[in-house]
Amino acid sequence: MREGVALCLKDLLIEWRSRDRVVSTLLFALLVVLVFHFALPGGATARTQENAPGLLWVAYILAALFGLGRAFSLELDNDAIAGLALAPVERGWIFLGKAAANLVILALAQAVTALAFALVFELDVFAVAGRLAGLVLLGSLGLCAIGTFFSAVAVRTRFREVMLPLLMLPLLVPVLSGAVRATTSLFETGSVPFDAVQLLIVTDAIYLIGSFLLFDFVVDE
Amino acid sequence: MIRASGILLALFFAATTWLVATAPTDSMQGAIQKILYVHVPCAFAAYAGFIVTGVSGALYLWRRDERFDWWALAGAEVGVVFCTLNIASGPIWARGTWGHWWAWDPRLTVTLILWFIYLAYLMLRSFTEGSERTARFAAVYGILALAAIPLNYYAIDLFGGAAMHPENLERDSLGAGMRLPFAASVLTGLIALWHLVTVRQDIARRHAEVPEITG
Amino acid sequence: MVCQSLSKRFGRAVALDALELVVEPGEGVALLGPNGAGKSTLLRLIAGLARPSAGHLAVDGTPAHQREARARVGYIGHATLLYGELTARENLVFAGKLHGVPDPGARADELLAEEELAPVAGDRVQSLSRGMSQRLAIARGLIHDPPLVLLDEPFSGLDRAAARRLTDRLQRLRAGGRTVVLVTHELSRAAELSTASLVLSRGRVVHTGRSEDAAGMEHAYLAAVEGRA
Repeated sequence: MREGVALCLKDLLIEWRSRDRVVSTLLFALLVVLVFHFALPGGATARTQENAPGLLWVAYILAALFGLGRAFSLELDNDAIAGLALAPVERGWIFLGKAAANLVILALAQAVTALAFALVFELDVFAVAGRLAGLVLLGSLGLCAIGTFFSAVAVRTRFREVMLPLLMLPLLVPVLSGAVRATTSLFETGSVPFDAVQLLIVTDAIYLIGSFLLFDFVVDE
Repeated sequence: MIRASGILLALFFAATTWLVATAPTDSMQGAIQKILYVHVPCAFAAYAGFIVTGVSGALYLWRRDERFDWWALAGAEVGVVFCTLNIASGPIWARGTWGHWWAWDPRLTVTLILWFIYLAYLMLRSFTEGSERTARFAAVYGILALAAIPLNYYAIDLFGGAAMHPENLERDSLGAGMRLPFAASVLTGLIALWHLVTVRQDIARRHAEVPEITG
Repeated sequence: MVCQSLSKRFGRAVALDALELVVEPGEGVALLGPNGAGKSTLLRLIAGLARPSAGHLAVDGTPAHQREARARVGYIGHATLLYGELTARENLVFAGKLHGVPDPGARADELLAEEELAPVAGDRVQSLSRGMSQRLAIARGLIHDPPLVLLDEPFSGLDRAAARRLTDRLQRLRAGGRTVVLVTHELSRAAELSTASLVLSRGRVVHTGRSEDAAGMEHAYLAAVEGRA
């Protein structure tokens, strides 16, 4: 497990040096919010506020697709991924280390996006900030698990930018579904329905464990 | 080459056609209800096809035997056809009975997602280079996607649209005299899947062997 | 290290064809042969980067693709396996952590000194010259002090001074009891660094000989290259 932590920290260190993924993912997410503003003319009406949680998660998914694509491309330079494969560790830890780093990078973009949403749709995020953060984390675990895993697969196919969304999106339906339901309920009533949280936990567990166990086959040749 | 599965399919198909033709017409829905005998078996076949794909992929990863990959590919290519037929026949039936082309009811939606999963699987196979890597990546995706299908069902069932599907099996809404043709058609669908997958798998096998003969 | 009936196929292409090979601890073995003979593939299989399609491959009795075997092997391939944005020292420390080295920082400093890279330890790898990157790649491969060292054409692109330095380095490794398996096109290097030389062609070992028998090796090598083997 130490190696997974080392990998996560290494990724974050590289990211800190160049900051390109955080910045570009964040910019992209903000652009998406801007697009939503123009796609729903009339600003913050009652109707758009109803849909805001859904749109927030659409923004998060798009940001993840955008940002995760690069997760493994930095490992292709100098065949660094072979360096990871040589390590005498269970390869699932490589996956977890990468996924954790991706989660941190995504979280930064997500936090700012939530603020942007609060502004555009006049939502009171501060009242539910803690629980919203928890919910976003829960949803993002599934998002990053599947995203990191398929990013490693897609990076070795011919049209990686196209493959990643194709592979990810059908499998993200449970995450999206649970997360949107929970977020909507959170903004409307301040409480989160248990069945949504349960769905997210089960989905995250299945995706994380499945990816951990199968990652060896992705790295192998 | 005449296969046992082919003969069985021919027999079942003939029997089912006769049963469906002579089955009573639904009093409320009219003749269009008979599309049920195509729509539902296709659904069964579509899901069975993906189970073949997912399980064969897992076996491939375990045994590293190329033959399992042929079964996985066959399952996907045949399954996607049944899935498409299912999704295409759904709206035809829906329009005839409920009045509109589409409804986001759980079963239809999950099958639609299955369709996307099938397509993603086939695209992954076609965009990956190297047959060993293709088999590996496809197997891995097949396993995760197979695990995701019940999750999808659970998720959509919890939060999805109105349940408009007739609960044929549970609530006994099949009228008298319809149960036999229904059962026969489902069996025919599964036999059709089995037969076509076997044929497709055989084609894959021959395709793999040809270069060795000529090369 | 033992290969028994080792085969590797990539789709229809056969890279290794029922290869048999035994390397004793402390030996130095050179692998020669034309491009496409399967030398790099063999090294990658021993390193645990790929799995055999058929046959067995074990390092000290453990199958090569298992973790315990990977801990005993150091692999230095064509690519440097380094991260451009990290410094030389950071790359080594990270590799050390990946391989479970107890004090990665100290070990990194030790290797940097040995490879005469201490002055550039704090420089990012993307700013290093090619020769320096290659030396760093070797340090990276040896970070966990493995008993079996695999090198895939380490001399390509090196000038004479650098090649000399590398030869000395590898001779020191052998003197220290390490087993070295080296893929090279240069017969003279093979003679200096190994006791046994094997010529591979089309995935099989077609000739085994003593490295000092330069004439014999050259003959076999040319035969393989010209396709006569």
